[in-house]
Amino acid sequence: MTPLFRGFYTAASGMISQQRRQEMITNNIANANTPGYKADQVSLRSFPELLIQQMASHRLPVKENVSQRKTHLVGPLNTGVYAQELTPNFSQGTLRETRLPTDLAIVDGDYPDENGGVFFTVQAETGEIRYTRNGNFQIDGEGYLTTNEGLYVLDQNGERIFTDDSNFHVTEEGYIDLNGTLIPLGFTYITNTNNLTKEGTDLFEAERGNAEAIDAANSEALFQVKQGFLEGSTVDPAQSMVDMIQAYRNFEMNQRVLKEFDETIGKTVNEVGRLR
Amino acid sequence: MTIRMMTQAQAAMNALQQKLDSVGHNLANSNTHGYKTRNVEFQSLLKQHIDNLTDPANNEGRQTPLGIRVGTGARVGSTNSHFGIGSMQTTDRPLDTMLLEENHFYQIQVDNNGILETQYTRAGNFYVTPIANGNVRLVTSDGNAVLSSNGVIEFADGFDQIDINERGELLVTYGDRTVNIGQLDIVEITRPGLLQAVGENNFRLPNLGELGFDQNEIVRTTDGNLNLVQNKALEMSNVQIQDEIVEMLNAQRAYQLNARSISTADQMQGLVNQLR
Repeated sequence: MTPLFRGFYTAASGMISQQRRQEMITNNIANANTPGYKADQVSLRSFPELLIQQMASHRLPVKENVSQRKTHLVGPLNTGVYAQELTPNFSQGTLRETRLPTDLAIVDGDYPDENGGVFFTVQAETGEIRYTRNGNFQIDGEGYLTTNEGLYVLDQNGERIFTDDSNFHVTEEGYIDLNGTLIPLGFTYITNTNNLTKEGTDLFEAERGNAEAIDAANSEALFQVKQGFLEGSTVDPAQSMVDMIQAYRNFEMNQRVLKEFDETIGKTVNEVGRLR
Repeated sequence: MTIRMMTQAQAAMNALQQKLDSVGHNLANSNTHGYKTRNVEFQSLLKQHIDNLTDPANNEGRQTPLGIRVGTGARVGSTNSHFGIGSMQTTDRPLDTMLLEENHFYQIQVDNNGILETQYTRAGNFYVTPIANGNVRLVTSDGNAVLSSNGVIEFADGFDQIDINERGELLVTYGDRTVNIGQLDIVEITRPGLLQAVGENNFRLPNLGELGFDQNEIVRTTDGNLNLVQNKALEMSNVQIQDEIVEMLNAQRAYQLNARSISTADQMQGLVNQLR
């Protein structure tokens, strides 16, 4: 691989990583109105550094044809950039009133850990546990509280919640009050939310990232539940727009560099080596 | 790859279009008696997991689990009717009634191409229409028969006065004789989420037996001795115009922003095409 081509691929990797970034921004914008959506932030990282060494040899002044290898350190170089991680921004979204009794929002209070977070606990189709901040719930035909995907919302004991009649009241402490009977909703406290993985349809999974999930009631996490409200997404449209312009221009710059390389190669091939 | 950006934004725009449709429908029905607002909420779509460089040295300082998870846009997660009670409008018309409790419905008989079907409505503006043999029938504004506990309500024409009392009993006066014709059959739908809007302000329940639900649990008869009806009044729609306008502006701007994502993606693709 010649050094010329090395730069060629570096510019290409710049374009690809800016494209990844743009994909993330587009997805954030698409979810600007999704309740409980946590906006992603991208971290770009350079490829591992390579140590460049110049290789040469010089002939020794003796009768026999003897040459000596001579190396010379040029220095470290990395040959590109990639999107290393997308980190969701777990800050509190703004609350929006919907007046629907089955809409619930978690309001973050004081958490014992810097990156702690409280989530609703739901049961996925496979029976596994997932976490969500989208409190846009429904009551299904059998009277159970479900997400709008139909996944059961769980109570503190990991059981489905049966809401017998439509008189459905949720206290700020997170209890469902059914004519005097209090059912504690299941809240999970995640000590480090960065360990969660996004699974789509507003669900988070803790197993892949080994996130520590504990029952919020047994933790020192302080939070409130608001009935008739939904938590907005943490996407900032203005910031997204600025990021979009920036990512676009960055993409364009890398494209220019790539074109420049192309022209240089063109010159090398067509003009330097031309025979008259 | 640029295609992903386009589909993300396209999916979100479709969802926003549906939201705008629903807002338009709510606004159009802001003066329809007994109309219930419909709220559209979004949900994020699936994530695609992309593995990238797994070199341990390069994962130093990483906060999230390995790989990146790129989202694919948003969709409509739920369309929930808001069954809260609308405000009362007094009309002084004897056949106008309003139901005073949430989730209570009048039962009406709709002729669906020869098949009689029971539907539910909260619009209490009733009329009498002449039928054979000098009798009249109590109907809704669309001419569908209103049901009492004994079926269709029919009585002899030539009355001097009609009244519907607070228990929903139809009292017809002929000269100095007042006859109790029957009581309106008011039911409580305990899982209003199951109701399907069929237009003309009516709702229908899906085939509950097929879905494995208990009909008696979902449709409950009400106590005939309770005062459930206010007569000479109508229930206004529960549409909050200011909320709808805010939702509309919000959706419009979000639509615009997504359109910008598409044009940016298009320009990026253009840059790629200009490479050569």
